[in-house]
Amino acid sequence: MLDDKILPNGPFAIVTDLEPSPEAPVPTNNSSALPVDPNSPGFELKYTLSGHRKAVSVLKYSPDGKLLASGAADKLIKLWDTYTGHLLSTLEGHNEGINDLAWSVDSVYVASASDDKSIRIWSAESGTTVRELQGHTNFVFCVNYNPHSNLLASGGFDETVRIWDVARGRTMRVLPAHSDPVTAVMFNYDGSLLASAAMDGLVRVWDSESGQCIRTLVDDDAPVCSHVKFSPNSQFVLISTQDSTLRLWSVEQSRCVKTYTGHANRTYCIPASFGRGRAKWVVSGSEDHKVYIWDLQTRQVVQVLEGHRDVVLAVAVHPKANMIASAGMEKDLAIKIWVNAPPVDSAADVVGEAPVS
Amino acid sequence: MAAFLTDPFSSDHPTAVQTSLLSQALQARFDPSGQYIGAGKMDGTALIWDMTTKSSVRTLPGHAKAITSIDWSRNSRFMLTSSKDWNVVVWDLSNECDPVQRHATVRFDAPVLAAYFHPRNSKLILAVLQTGEAYIADLRKDSRSQMELSDSQEESEDEEQQSSKTRIAITTARFDPTGKYIFAGTAAGSLLVFNTRTKTVIARHKIPGAGSIKTLDFNESGRRLVTNSSDRVLRQFALPSYPSSGSSTETEIVGQELRPQYTFSDPINRSAWNGMSYSAHGEWLAGGAADSASHKIYIWDIANDGRLAITLDGGRDPLSSIHWHPKKSIIISTTKFGTILVWHHPTPERWGAFAGDFEEMDENFDYEEREDEFDIEDEAEVKKRKMKLEEAEVDVDTIVDSNGPGGNSVLQRQASSADVDLAWADQDPDDDTVPWILSVLMEEDV
Repeated sequence: MLDDKILPNGPFAIVTDLEPSPEAPVPTNNSSALPVDPNSPGFELKYTLSGHRKAVSVLKYSPDGKLLASGAADKLIKLWDTYTGHLLSTLEGHNEGINDLAWSVDSVYVASASDDKSIRIWSAESGTTVRELQGHTNFVFCVNYNPHSNLLASGGFDETVRIWDVARGRTMRVLPAHSDPVTAVMFNYDGSLLASAAMDGLVRVWDSESGQCIRTLVDDDAPVCSHVKFSPNSQFVLISTQDSTLRLWSVEQSRCVKTYTGHANRTYCIPASFGRGRAKWVVSGSEDHKVYIWDLQTRQVVQVLEGHRDVVLAVAVHPKANMIASAGMEKDLAIKIWVNAPPVDSAADVVGEAPVS
Repeated sequence: MAAFLTDPFSSDHPTAVQTSLLSQALQARFDPSGQYIGAGKMDGTALIWDMTTKSSVRTLPGHAKAITSIDWSRNSRFMLTSSKDWNVVVWDLSNECDPVQRHATVRFDAPVLAAYFHPRNSKLILAVLQTGEAYIADLRKDSRSQMELSDSQEESEDEEQQSSKTRIAITTARFDPTGKYIFAGTAAGSLLVFNTRTKTVIARHKIPGAGSIKTLDFNESGRRLVTNSSDRVLRQFALPSYPSSGSSTETEIVGQELRPQYTFSDPINRSAWNGMSYSAHGEWLAGGAADSASHKIYIWDIANDGRLAITLDGGRDPLSSIHWHPKKSIIISTTKFGTILVWHHPTPERWGAFAGDFEEMDENFDYEEREDEFDIEDEAEVKKRKMKLEEAEVDVDTIVDSNGPGGNSVLQRQASSADVDLAWADQDPDDDTVPWILSVLMEEDV
C-alpha cells in the first residue's frame, strides 16, 4: 500500500527525564520520585509506523522478536519487521474488526480474535488463513496460545472461555466462566493454568486440564477487569481494572501485593505488560494518550512516553530487545516504536516478558 | 503445575478411566515429560499421541511387522520402535513432517523383543532378541558396532566341562537409570549385571523360584528393581551397590543371591502379569494382569509394606501393556484390541473457588470472631498499612518447580567427568539437550 510509510524519528516530542513535559500529570503519591534520572528506562521514540485506517486495538511481538503484529478495527492484521519498521504483509479475511492477536511459540502462526465471532489462525510467512475457528456466539475479544501452542484459549462477549485443539480446529472445552464479557485469557508458563478476566470484575484461575476453577481473585469494589497477565514465573498476575489501577496479585495467597496508579483507565480494555532492563518494569497504555512505565518493586512511575494523540489501547514489550510498541485510537492510528538508548554500563540490559526457558 | 495447588502430601493413584484413545496400539509409552504417548501398532506403524489434546499428532511408518516396544530419549527428541521384523528404528522428531522419516535403522538377525535407549545417549541402543541374545548397538561414528552381551565365564566353564553348549538365554534386559549397568534377566531365573562400557559381567544374582524372567523395571532412582517372571509373581528388590569400574583391573564378580523385599501376586486367579510400572516417585507399583477375559490393574502401596491398594477394572478387553506417567498420577494401559485407556485420579470440583473470599471446609465449626474483626478503622490508616505491605519485594521471575527433582535427576546428579562409564557414554553425544516440543503441524484447510 502506498500510504504505508515509515517515518523514522517522527516529529513528536520525545520525553526524557531531563526534559519533563510541562503538562505531564504528576501522580500525587509519587511526586517526589518523578522523574528520577537513574531509575528511568530512558525510552525514546524510534519509529512511527502508519498503515491502519481505524483504531489499532492490539500489538504483539512474535516470540523470536523478529515481527510485530498489529490488529485494528479496519479488519486488517499487519506484520511489521521489528528492527527496520517495514510493513511485511497485511492479512485480510476477517469481516469485522480485530480485538486480539496471539503468536504461536515458534513464531510461525498468528491467531486473531474478531468481532465477526471467529478466530483465524494465519501463517505469518504466507499470510494465509490456515484455520478458522467457529464457535463463539458473540464477539471474540481475547485469544492466547498455551506454551506448547497446541491449545488456544479464547474469550468473548458470549461470556465463555473456549479451549481449542489447534491442529484439529475444534473446541475442546467451554468454560462457563463469567457473567459478563471475557476481556482476557492467558496460560501460565507451563500451560497447566489458565487465567481469565472479565467485565464482571473477576479474575478466575483454572486448571487447564480438568477445566476446574481453582481461584477467584476479586477486589473489594470489583471494578471492571480489562486485562490479566501472568508474571514470567506465574506466581503473580497483573490485573488491569477500569478504576485506573493495575494490581499485582499473588495467585497463591489470593492477595494484592502491589498497586500501580497514575495513568487514566476508566473506559477501555488496555493491556499491561512486564518489562525488564536495569530494573523490572510494568508497562501500560493510558487514556490520557500516554504510555506509563512503573518500577515493578517501588511502584513509582519511572517514565511516561508521550506522543500519541489519542487513547493508547495497545502496548507490546519486545521479548528480547529494549523496545516497546504502542498504538492509539482513531485520532492517531500510528504505531510508535520506542527504544532505550544502549546503556553504557551494562550489556545485559534486556527487556523481556517471557521467562528464559 | 503450580506448587501451591497440589497438596504435597497427597500422592494418589489413579482410580478411574479418563479417556480411551482408539489407536490400534498394543504398546504405549509416555515420553519423559509425560506430554506425549508413543504407541505401537500391530501392523508395524507407530503413532504419537498428544496428551493435551488427546489426539494423534504423528504417524511413524517403519516396520513390516508388529511393534514390540517403544522407548524415548531423555528429552523426547528421539523415539525408537522395535519390531518382529528384526529391525529397530530410531525416529528424529525434530523433522517437521508427518509421516515422520526414519532417522536410523538397526537390523538384527532375529525378531526384536524389546529395545531401549541409553539414558544418557540415544546413540547407544540395547536390544533383546527372540533368540535369547542381547546386543548393544553403538551408532556413534568412531565406535560403530554391535556387541553381544554374554556371560563369558559361564561359557568358559561350559567348554571346560565339555557339557552341552546351551547358553542360558537372556529373556529381558534394561539399562539402569544411570546407564552404567545393564540388568539382564535369563530363562534360568537369574539376573546378570553387565557394565555398559566394558560389557563384562559384574554380578550374578540367582532368584530362587522365579523361573524365566519376563520383564524388569526400575524405580526413578534406580535403587529398586521389580521383576516379572514365569511363576506369576512380581518381586521387588533393593539393589546393592556395585563396584564402579576402573577402580581396579580385576573386579570381583558379585555372586550374591537377591532376596525380594516384597512379592506381589494375584492370590485368587493366580494370573500372570503383562507388565508393571512404578509411579513417578516410586510410592506405588502398578501391575497389569494377563487375564484373557478382563482388563485388571493392581496397584500396590510400596510405602505401606507393599499392601494392595486398589484393583482397577477396565472392562473385558485383555491388557497388553501398562505405563505410569513420569510425573503425574496417570496410568496408560493398552488392550489387546488396540485401545489406550488413560487412567487418572479425578479431583472433586471445588465450588468455593468460584467465590473470591470463600473457604471450603469439611465440617461446621463455631466461628469465633477476633476482638477487632468488625472495628471501624480509619481509612487513611488502612491505606497506609496497605502501602507499607506493598513495599515488600516480589519475585516475578524465578520458577518454583513443584515436581521437585525430575526424571533426569539421577543423570544430573552425576558429573560425567568423574566417572569413566558415564564419560564413555557421553562421547559423541546426541543433540537431545533441551526439552523437546513437537511443533504443531497444520495443513492449510480453509
